Amino acid sequence: MSKPDRSPVTVIGGGVAGSTAAIALSRHGLPVTLIDEQPSAGGQIFRAPSSYARQTVPPNHEFSGGDALRQKLATSNVRVRLSTRVWGLSPSLTLDLLGPDGMDQIPPSTVVVANGATERFFPFQGWTTPRITGLAGASILMRNGGTLPGQSVVVAGSGPLLFSVAHQVLEMGGKVTAIIDSGNRADWTRLGAMLTLDSSRLTQAAAWMLRLRKAGIPVHHRSFLSAAEETETGLLLTVSDMDHPERHHFYTAEAAACGYGLKPSTLITRTAGVQHRYDSLGGYLEPVTDVAGRTSHPDLYVTGDAAGIRGMAVARLRGLVTAHAVAHDRGLIPAKAYASLTRTPLRHLRRLDAVSRRMLPLMNAGRTIGARLPDDTIVCRCERVKAGTLRTAIQSGAEDLNQLKAWTRCGMGPCQGRMCEDSARALLTTACNSTPEEAGSFTARIPFFPLPLTSVTGDFSYSDIPLPKAAPL
Amino acid sequence: MTVAFHESPVIYDAIIIGAGVMGATTALFLARAGLKVALVDRQDMFRAASGVNAGTLTLHMTRAQLIPHAIRGREMWLNSAEWLGEDVGALATPGLSMAFTEAEEDLLRQRASVRQNMGAPIEIISAEKAVSIEPGVNPRLRAAAYCALDGHIPTYRVGGAYARALKEAGITLIENAPVESISSVRGQGHEIRLTGHARAIHGRRVVLSTGAWLEKMLGWFGHDISIRCLINQLVVTETLPPVMGSVLSIANGLLSLKQFANGSVLIGGGWQGEGNIRDGGTRVIPENLQGNVRLAQHVVPRLNEAQILRVWLGLESETPDAMPLIGALTPDDDAFVVGCVHSGFTSGPYMGRLLAERILGADPDLSAFNPSRFSPSSATRAQL
Repeated sequence: MSKPDRSPVTVIGGGVAGSTAAIALSRHGLPVTLIDEQPSAGGQIFRAPSSYARQTVPPNHEFSGGDALRQKLATSNVRVRLSTRVWGLSPSLTLDLLGPDGMDQIPPSTVVVANGATERFFPFQGWTTPRITGLAGASILMRNGGTLPGQSVVVAGSGPLLFSVAHQVLEMGGKVTAIIDSGNRADWTRLGAMLTLDSSRLTQAAAWMLRLRKAGIPVHHRSFLSAAEETETGLLLTVSDMDHPERHHFYTAEAAACGYGLKPSTLITRTAGVQHRYDSLGGYLEPVTDVAGRTSHPDLYVTGDAAGIRGMAVARLRGLVTAHAVAHDRGLIPAKAYASLTRTPLRHLRRLDAVSRRMLPLMNAGRTIGARLPDDTIVCRCERVKAGTLRTAIQSGAEDLNQLKAWTRCGMGPCQGRMCEDSARALLTTACNSTPEEAGSFTARIPFFPLPLTSVTGDFSYSDIPLPKAAPL
Repeated sequence: MTVAFHESPVIYDAIIIGAGVMGATTALFLARAGLKVALVDRQDMFRAASGVNAGTLTLHMTRAQLIPHAIRGREMWLNSAEWLGEDVGALATPGLSMAFTEAEEDLLRQRASVRQNMGAPIEIISAEKAVSIEPGVNPRLRAAAYCALDGHIPTYRVGGAYARALKEAGITLIENAPVESISSVRGQGHEIRLTGHARAIHGRRVVLSTGAWLEKMLGWFGHDISIRCLINQLVVTETLPPVMGSVLSIANGLLSLKQFANGSVLIGGGWQGEGNIRDGGTRVIPENLQGNVRLAQHVVPRLNEAQILRVWLGLESETPDAMPLIGALTPDDDAFVVGCVHSGFTSGPYMGRLLAERILGADPDLSAFNPSRFSPSSATRAQL
């Protein structure tokens, strides 16, 4: 064993995976900094509720689990930097931060990326109308803000979040007008059978389903939300059949929540230049990692859902295993100790991983929607690019996502393509009869989110500016 | 885009290597004159400097000797519907170059007078006049140089427009095909080997228009010219209410600032980042990001309300004398170069057209751009 390396480790993201990893890393004696953009740690699932939500939302696992996690972090040696966002990084892993005290940098360190998932979305006619949210957004509004998106809500999209959000609406006394699922009913049944391997999830799913069935909520499988229009009585929502797009149902509701499963957040890993691959089951790009989160960059690890969507139980185990792997790679623990520390977590990880992968096709059930968007539907909200504009550019020879972006501005706006990339990819691969690998992915650019210009400039006088010598005349 | 090869190899009248503004314009005018043309690029077309530059049309920042070319290039952009087939949205605006210190004012006057002598309609105006033309500028300026002939282009619209024009002209576009070698075939022009393509392509003439990647290929033709690669930083803001209507720069040329129709403000000027021709621009230098943006905020104080949306780096090529390379590379008149044009986006289409005219037998004055000026021995050869 070489000399132990006790240089600092930086963990990006204080959700289940990141917090677990940070605590375990500090127990290995490493100086750990945990960065999170929220005012408290917890990530999406364990997001700290507002005091209003604590009074109005019935007690639940997420509140208690999150409080326990935050308590553990508070008593650990982890240096937690909250309300702090990473806006850039260099190939040598210098991190650019914007925090409560302005700009800052962390010099090159071992970086554990645990920045979780992003919701996938497919647009529809009128999706930019007010009172239409993502499923994840609706969940945060209810769970952590204690507020319903509307008194009556159509819940649409795919994956388990559909039923979780519908259940939350009922729990808070709202009405679920309808549930629109792009997946097959039979897939859910098969998943139910698989869930016997994951009893906690099965119990929770069974409870949701029972309650939704009792409430008599109409559920449409193999269907999708195809249009929304604001009327005097609320949103008029059109539901279309995936296999027979001419067949419609109509609902009126105060609000709609729509989302098509999750995908790993890859802005940071793409910028770092690590190897990625397209997971066709999940329908998303993910960094290539081993079971412990090692990537093609020796000092960069990825853990939790950022390494591929597997859910909370896997995220916790991944966080733990990644921390032990960093300790082992640093020469802090020998191979034997590493094997004994990871034996049990890895066993659970393999079992749960298999179940979670079965969930991916259900989350990705909307994958064909992007390809058949009508020409006048806005795909990129930031730059107001319509499907027809994308098709024209593809016809002119834009055969990969970056050329499509360069010629149409699709994905150039503040969200960096988080909302439109999946639709653009579906349109492109269908029109060119190409693979997602051939279509590629949008090049990640800094800053990762819009930076106030004054946070870069600060206080200065003209004479402070180091003007380079004049350009040649 | 891939090409289906027939049994007997096609011999192109001209193969253009490098699908940016200059190479594509040369290709377009050659094809329209009846030549059979292929256009090759190491990646997708218009993805290097021609696709990521600031879209500035400027006489303030153009090298004085290139003013006549820049004026013609600017006209071509403004009339793109006529020769390219569609309007790319070029907008004519005034351009103001500003001085904030005494030294800058001297520099401004000196540089303006040299450019005036080359035909640029630039005049020095007072601070008050500058503020009346552009109310958004910092009133602490001392003087400004005013040019009626500036403007800007939404760069993103150019690539698609060229793609459609190339198709219309019957040009064979070969993308994602880095050139591995160019060898001379006696009396038959050149054989070009491309990565990923089993068969070589043949051309009676070859044109190099590969910008920052020129040096190695020029070497293949015996021209030992060191091409410096600039890693230019660009910054764009989120959309803002109107804060300016002209193209703004400062006396030493290290700022270009404009607001596009959608409200976003683009900050350029050639501040340097890290990178190279292999990996492209890889890293912003924090002091340079701060310096560039401070300069912009000093010039237009209301930018303090802006959010920086994106920062990126684009490569620009420069010869040892910072003058272009346009002309023949061989005594047989079967290999040519076009590139390294300072503020190349402004004059690019005109430079590309000039080379096409030269290849087609006209005799435009390209003496200042002769690639042989750097190698005395080959200079005599090329002039034969």
